[in-house]
Amino acid sequence: MIGAIAEALFSRGGEPLEPKMLGEFVTNVDGFMSPASKTLRAGLMLMLELLRWLPVVVVGKLASFEELPIETRTDMLQKMDRSRFSLFPLIVVAFKTLLTVAYYEDDDRLRAIGYPGEERKRYLTVRT
Amino acid sequence: MRASVDVVIVGSGAGGAVVAREMARDGRSVLALEEGGYYTPEEYGKLSPSQSLRRIAREAGLNVAMGIGDTPLISALAGKAVGGSSLLTGGVIFRVPEDILHEWSTDLGLHELTPEALDPFFTEVERAVHAEIVPEAMRSRSTELFVEGATKMGIPMKSLRRNTHGCRGASRCTFGCPNRAKMSVDLSFWPDAWEHGARVWADALVERVDIRGGRAWGVRGRFLDQETGEPRVPFEVHAKLVVVACGALHSPLLLRRSGLEGPHVGRHMTLHPSFRVCALFDEEVDGWDGAMQSVFSDAMMDQGITFVSAYNPPSVLAAAFPGIGQPHQRLIERVSNLAVFGGMVHDDGGGQVRRWISREPLLLYKMSGRDRARLFLGIQTLGKMAFAAGAKEVLLPIFGSEPFESEASLDFLTSNPPSARRVESLSFHPLGSAKMATSAKGGVVKPTGETWQVDNLFVADGSVVPTSIGVNSQLPIMTMALKIARGIRADWARYARRAA
Repeated sequence: MIGAIAEALFSRGGEPLEPKMLGEFVTNVDGFMSPASKTLRAGLMLMLELLRWLPVVVVGKLASFEELPIETRTDMLQKMDRSRFSLFPLIVVAFKTLLTVAYYEDDDRLRAIGYPGEERKRYLTVRT
Repeated sequence: MRASVDVVIVGSGAGGAVVAREMARDGRSVLALEEGGYYTPEEYGKLSPSQSLRRIAREAGLNVAMGIGDTPLISALAGKAVGGSSLLTGGVIFRVPEDILHEWSTDLGLHELTPEALDPFFTEVERAVHAEIVPEAMRSRSTELFVEGATKMGIPMKSLRRNTHGCRGASRCTFGCPNRAKMSVDLSFWPDAWEHGARVWADALVERVDIRGGRAWGVRGRFLDQETGEPRVPFEVHAKLVVVACGALHSPLLLRRSGLEGPHVGRHMTLHPSFRVCALFDEEVDGWDGAMQSVFSDAMMDQGITFVSAYNPPSVLAAAFPGIGQPHQRLIERVSNLAVFGGMVHDDGGGQVRRWISREPLLLYKMSGRDRARLFLGIQTLGKMAFAAGAKEVLLPIFGSEPFESEASLDFLTSNPPSARRVESLSFHPLGSAKMATSAKGGVVKPTGETWQVDNLFVADGSVVPTSIGVNSQLPIMTMALKIARGIRADWARYARRAA
């Protein structure tokens, strides 16, 4: 499920993410969540299960979330994000937050969006 | 494992470190028990944000206060390591505002909490943590833009003070300073405490305070497996005096588990619900270059709102951008054009800390109507500041909202606000869940910090703060802890006699 959500969030033009990278990413996210309490992890698992079976309600498709084409998954998450039923945006925000923090920690992806890494300049003017 | 000491302290953060140093300096044998692990500044300085959340934050940074009624779900960040939440603060230093101290000392009868009485304590802590004004040159371009917007609106901004020494403006203080420049308690108070013989056991979870005959005798708990966090080897520490300092989220839980009852334990918690507004500019902002927090405005404090500059690593900012898929990616690709500013609500005490089915508490929070109005007014004002500074798009912390492209489009926030449940809110300052009061009917601890119900059992952390303070809480917590510790020192003979 985590991989399916990641593709819905980060895929470009409905293209699947590279399988090896996706596998490593899912492991990384799993490690991110592992120190949380059993209660919190159970809550996240419950939300994942809900998300898995919500397509029939949100986009009218009789399929699990993973079985949907990537673009339909993205569309479903967009609809949930805007939903007036407050549980839906919460589910989306919970996983979007977790996955985005992990996804954009990759050095190459950071450089691609213009982040220079640890290089800083402003403090130099204070020191001189 | 067993140990016997004069003073055992539960928690090693802003409260526990101060008490440990004071008692060790006074010649007492001191042992602090910390549920989290120990990381050197070099170790935590190298962690990525997600690694930092996994290792140093409670619940891997996913802790939330559940909103009751029309209340946001509030993300509540708290530390769990030697040094506690002080490792994860932005380093902002504020004294408790004088009007709040006036309320405490007059309306609440806490006569020793006047500005004059607390001044020497504030001053001493400020020196110990190296409180300094952030130079204007260290303001990031992100902050400069919001200051420009605020100035055009007639809202004055002032330079902040922070506990830093040699800040290099990495803008990631809340995930552990990478340059050993933020003077968190592991660098300010603990070295002195260790030099005077204080000890810390890390990965040591205290499960209950041992209470017999109305007096605290020590604590019991278990060491945690460093990998899994599961409780393993039991320990027992006998002490003449017990200080609970595990923060406003956990101290009331420990008190309840230890048998303390009453309507105030775990109630009245304030959170300072915080919000941030992002804005896209045509120019390159590169907001990561500069102090993470450098200015604030108290111009709307009479309306319960404090504005404080803030920035975050790009991965964390990206997580908060609105949209899913392509609209979200478009914003992430423009992160170098992004400016961010934050604010917080000086709130009513609508929070509760309850025992639940795990070691972590169930946090409940009911936002008052007054605070909801403050929340939306604060968000709207930041949005207007951004447009006044020339922002092309403003991103509000409201689930499912699109970027806003004009000042007028923000009017709905005060004329017809959405449900507060749709607001993304954060809390960094949980306070008041075992508050100080002049009688057992009014709170959990006496003005000395000792609990009303149990002798020789003290609380010395953010739990004891009597009301919301409307500003960052690091210095107030340390100051209250210092005052409590000095009181224990002064009365040590009496407490030791009780324990004999």
